[in-house]
Amino acid sequence: MDNNNTSRRQFLRAAGGTLGAAWLGTHWPDLAAAAEHAHAAAAGRTDHHFRVLTPGQARDVEAIAAQIVPSGDTPGAREAGVVYFIDQVQAGVYASAAPEFLAGLAAFQGDFAKSGAGPGQFADLGGSGQRSYLKGIETTPFFGTMRFLTVLGLLALPSYGGNEGKAGWKLVGFVDQHAWEPPFGHYDRGYPGFEPYAKERG
Amino acid sequence: MNARAFGPDETVDFVVVGSGAAGGVMARELAQAGFEVLVLEQGSRFTAADFKHDELDTWFNNALLNNPETSPQTFRRTAQDKALRVRDFPSLWYARMVGGSSNHFTGNFWRFHEVDFKERSLLGAIPGTSFADWPIDYAELEPYYTKVEWEVGVSGLAGASPFDPPRSKPYPMPPLPVKSSGVLLERGARKLGLHPFPAPMAIASVPYRGRPACAHCGFCIGFGCEMQAKSSTLYTMIPEAEATGRCEVRSDSYVFRVETNERDRVTGVSYFDRDRRERFQKAKAVVLCANGAETARLLLMSANAKFPDGLANSSGLVGRNLMFNTYAEVHAVFEHELNEYKSVQVTRIVHDFYDSDPQRGFYGGGGFDARIGPNPIAWSLFAPPPDRAWGAEFKSLLEAMPRAMVVATHGTSLPLETNRVDLDPELKDAWGLPAMRVTYRDHPDDLAMAGFLQDRGVEVMQAAGAQQVWKGRLTEASGSPHLLGTCRMGNDPQTSVVDRHHRTHDIRNLFICDGSSFVTSGRGQPTMTIQALAFRAGDHIARFAQRGEI
Repeated sequence: MDNNNTSRRQFLRAAGGTLGAAWLGTHWPDLAAAAEHAHAAAAGRTDHHFRVLTPGQARDVEAIAAQIVPSGDTPGAREAGVVYFIDQVQAGVYASAAPEFLAGLAAFQGDFAKSGAGPGQFADLGGSGQRSYLKGIETTPFFGTMRFLTVLGLLALPSYGGNEGKAGWKLVGFVDQHAWEPPFGHYDRGYPGFEPYAKERG
Repeated sequence: MNARAFGPDETVDFVVVGSGAAGGVMARELAQAGFEVLVLEQGSRFTAADFKHDELDTWFNNALLNNPETSPQTFRRTAQDKALRVRDFPSLWYARMVGGSSNHFTGNFWRFHEVDFKERSLLGAIPGTSFADWPIDYAELEPYYTKVEWEVGVSGLAGASPFDPPRSKPYPMPPLPVKSSGVLLERGARKLGLHPFPAPMAIASVPYRGRPACAHCGFCIGFGCEMQAKSSTLYTMIPEAEATGRCEVRSDSYVFRVETNERDRVTGVSYFDRDRRERFQKAKAVVLCANGAETARLLLMSANAKFPDGLANSSGLVGRNLMFNTYAEVHAVFEHELNEYKSVQVTRIVHDFYDSDPQRGFYGGGGFDARIGPNPIAWSLFAPPPDRAWGAEFKSLLEAMPRAMVVATHGTSLPLETNRVDLDPELKDAWGLPAMRVTYRDHPDDLAMAGFLQDRGVEVMQAAGAQQVWKGRLTEASGSPHLLGTCRMGNDPQTSVVDRHHRTHDIRNLFICDGSSFVTSGRGQPTMTIQALAFRAGDHIARFAQRGEI
C-alpha cells in the first residue's frame, strides 16, 4: 500500500509537473484507472487452495519449481507461491493449454514411478536426487513448460496467484512504480552530458 | 470539430485500410487536404487507460497482438516444407488495434542513410537475391523525415552522429535522459574509437503538442503507453485526422476483399463489422496501409476472375521479398546497479558499422544499441545461457538482473523472392478466411552480419568493464515485428508492385503504403521510414486527387 501511494505520488508529479493541472484534469480518469489496476493487481490473492491440481500433483509441481528457482538465503519459487500461480492459470489465462500441461505432468509422474529413482513420488526424493533426475529430463517439453511457468509465477503480477508478497520482484530488484526520475542507476548518476565529436568525416 | 460518421450508402473519397504507423499518417494527410476519409481498422480502439503494466498479459498472452487461436498463422522454412501452425506467439506480429504497432513499438526512429536507397548501384548485384535500388533517394524523402520528427514527435540530438545523413532541421525535442546502459555503451564504444550517440526516439522527452513527457515507467517495448508520451498514431495523427471533421476511424472492421469493376478500377472494400456481418463500403480510391503482412494477404484474398493471382499482382511479387531485419543480443553484468527496468529501452546507439564493407567478405550493415529487452519475465526466460537456465546458478543470475544490460544488434535482411507471405491452402481464421502462411530463411550474409555486430557488442561490453559477458543465441529468424518488402516499390511493373508514388502498377485507384513498400530492409527500425513514406505518399495522392488523376 505504501509503495503504491509513493508510486501514485510520483506518477502524479510526473504527469502534472509536465503539463500542469489542466492536462491532469482532463486525463485523470484514465490515469486513475491505470493506477487502480496496478494497485489491485499487485495485491494478489490470499487463499491457498488448489483449483485444478490434486495434492499429489501440487507437491511435484512445487518440488520441480523449487529446483528451478531454489530457496536459500533469499526466497525462491516455493516462498513466492509459484505452485498457486501454476494452479490458477490452468483455470485462467492458460486454460486452453491445461489439458496438455496436465498430460505432461501425468507422464512425468508415470515416468518417475517407472524409473526406479526412488520410492513414492518425485517430491519425496532428496534435493540432490531431484536435481539429478531433472538433469536427465531438462530438454523435454514438459520441463520447458515448467521453467516457463515457474518464471511467470515468480514475476507476473501477484493477481495471477504467484509472486506472493512480491517475493519474485524483490529477488530480481524490480520495483513496481508508475514513474521514475533520473538517475536510474549507478552509472548515469553524474553523467556530464554528451560530448560532441570533432568534425572528422568532412 | 467532431469526427465524421459516414452513412452506409455514402461513397467516400478514400478508404484507408489500417490505422497504424502508415495508416494514421495517411488518414491525417488526406483529411487535412480536404478529402473524406474512412479508416477501416481490424482491431479495437484502446485508450491510455486500457494499457496495463501486466507483462504476462502483454507479452505472454498476446493482449495487444493477434490471438493465435482466432487469427492463426503457419510457418515453414522453404516451399518444399509443409507449413505448421504457429502456437503461442504469431510469426509475423503486430498490434491489432487503432494505432497498430505504433502503440507497442520501442520507438527507435533512425532515418535511413543515403546509401540505403542506392546500394545495388554502389555494390553491384548479389546473386540469388532481388537486391535493387529504390526508385527514390534520400534527398527526396528528407523533408518527410523532418515532418515525422516534428509532427509525430521525435526526441534526439541533431549532429551527434558523424554518420547521420543531412537534415533540414534539428529535432524538436532533446534526447531522453541517458540510462546507465547508455552510459556504459558510450564508455565502451568511445574507448574503442567508435562513435556512440543519443538515440532518436519517438517518445516525448518534454511536453509536446498537447502530450505529456515520458514518466520513465519502463513498460515500453511491447506495451501501449498510458502516459500518451509515446508518439503512437493513436495519440498523434488519428485525433488530428478526426479533428478535420472529414475522417472516421471505424474500429473492429476487418477488410477481407478489395472489390473491382469491369474497368479494372477499385470500387470499395468488403469487410466484417464487429458483429461479423459482411459489409461493403464504396470508395473512389483505396489506400492499403495494413502492414507488410496483412496488405499482401488482403491483395491475395482479393483474387477474382479478372485477377486470378490477386490484385495488383501482375508481377507475381505480392507477398514476396519479405524482409525482417536481423536481431541478436549480447548480455552483460556489471559491478553496480543499472536498474534497466526503468524508463525507455534505448538511450545510446552505435552506427559505425552501418555501411556494407566488402572487406568483411559478406554484404550487410547495421547498428547496435543499449537496452535490457522487455521486462523481468522475458529477461529471465531468454537471457540466461543454457547452462544457467535453472537451479542455483539461474537464481544467482536472477539476482544480478539489476546489474544487467543487453546490447541489441540490428541489421540488414536481403530480399529473396522465396521469402514470402501467402495464403495457407488449408487453415482458416475465425472469420473463415485463409490463414497467413509464412515462408522464411535468412540469407547467409544476414546471419554473418548479425554475428559480426554481436562480436563488436562483446568487445564494447568488455571495454566498458563488464564482469560477465555472453552472447545470445543467433539462429535463423522464424518471425518478426518488422514486416517489409512484400509489395515493393519500383519503376518497372515487371519487378515491383507499386510505383514511386505508391500507386499500384495495375490499378489506377489502388495505392499501397506501409512496410510492404520497402525495396531493401535498411538496418533496422523501419517505422521512421514507413511514416516518412506515408507523408510523402499522402502528399502525392492528395495532389493526384485534386488534379483528377485518380
